[in-house]
Amino acid sequence: MSAKNMEKVEQATNRKNISLPMSRVRLIMKSSPDVSCINQDALFLTTKATELFVQHLALSSYKNGSGKETNTLSYSDLANAAEESETFQFLTDILPKKILAREYLKSLEEMEKDADNL
Amino acid sequence: MDGDSSTTDTTQLGITGEYMTGGTYVLQTQDDDGDESFNDHEDGNGSKDHFREQDIYLPIANVARIMKNAIPQTGKIAKDAKECVQECVSEFISFITSEASERCHQEKRKTINGEDILFAMSTLGFDMYVEPLKLYLQKFREAMKGEKGITPVTVSEGLGEELTDDSFTGQLPAGLITADGQQQNVMVYTTSYQQIPGVQQIQFS
Repeated sequence: MSAKNMEKVEQATNRKNISLPMSRVRLIMKSSPDVSCINQDALFLTTKATELFVQHLALSSYKNGSGKETNTLSYSDLANAAEESETFQFLTDILPKKILAREYLKSLEEMEKDADNL
Repeated sequence: MDGDSSTTDTTQLGITGEYMTGGTYVLQTQDDDGDESFNDHEDGNGSKDHFREQDIYLPIANVARIMKNAIPQTGKIAKDAKECVQECVSEFISFITSEASERCHQEKRKTINGEDILFAMSTLGFDMYVEPLKLYLQKFREAMKGEKGITPVTVSEGLGEELTDDSFTGQLPAGLITADGQQQNVMVYTTSYQQIPGVQQIQFS
């Protein structure tokens, strides 16, 4: 698509009130197994829902997170949201909680100590 | 890097990021994923040559913008949080799509329609999106109607055509409209919109 046409699509996109590229959303949808055809309504709804989802996830995580002091939405805020909220449970696999390497090694040592004491 | 001989020093271990998860340990390094420009640019036409299917993401700028507008104005967003939400988004889309697709198959249909998507959302705990989405869809259809001068068609099984971005602003082949025998007030239009009075003009070079 030429740059000019891209611009037109973008303007048109704004009239339709979405801020994510539908073509990319469609690509992601198509990467699901057994998906053949997606109608226009379905594509729009998915795109719009994705926007709502981003807003929802960002705001929930921010509100519940450490942002109060730091004012910053961090990765761990998101990981916490995934664990604590039923709605975001499906994200727990891709949002593993992270720990510092030294803490892991410390807990490893402690586990070994416990094993020795048994 | 400092000359620290302690083995728990992450820099010594060559780990630039310092994270591991509990259970399955994941080391986050500096050169994380997202090497595909496909994920970083805002272009709608990413090259299909060098990405893995599971790594298709929406452009980070768009995602970040939506996040920024959602949180209080004084709030900031960490870079890894943006990237993370980018991945979550793809996960969300796949999540909804596979649920919708399953229902489609159960009902022996080939095309995923709007109802399937809304039903999937309801089933998966995103019920709160459904009503707003219906309103947005209404507005979207009206916007589309205004641009093309045709009444929106719910694509039925018989048509089975995928509608791409191009079809929103480009020309619909007349055959698509008439093939299903529906009686619509259809105006066949060309890319030069001047012929159609009262319709919003979009100039194509």
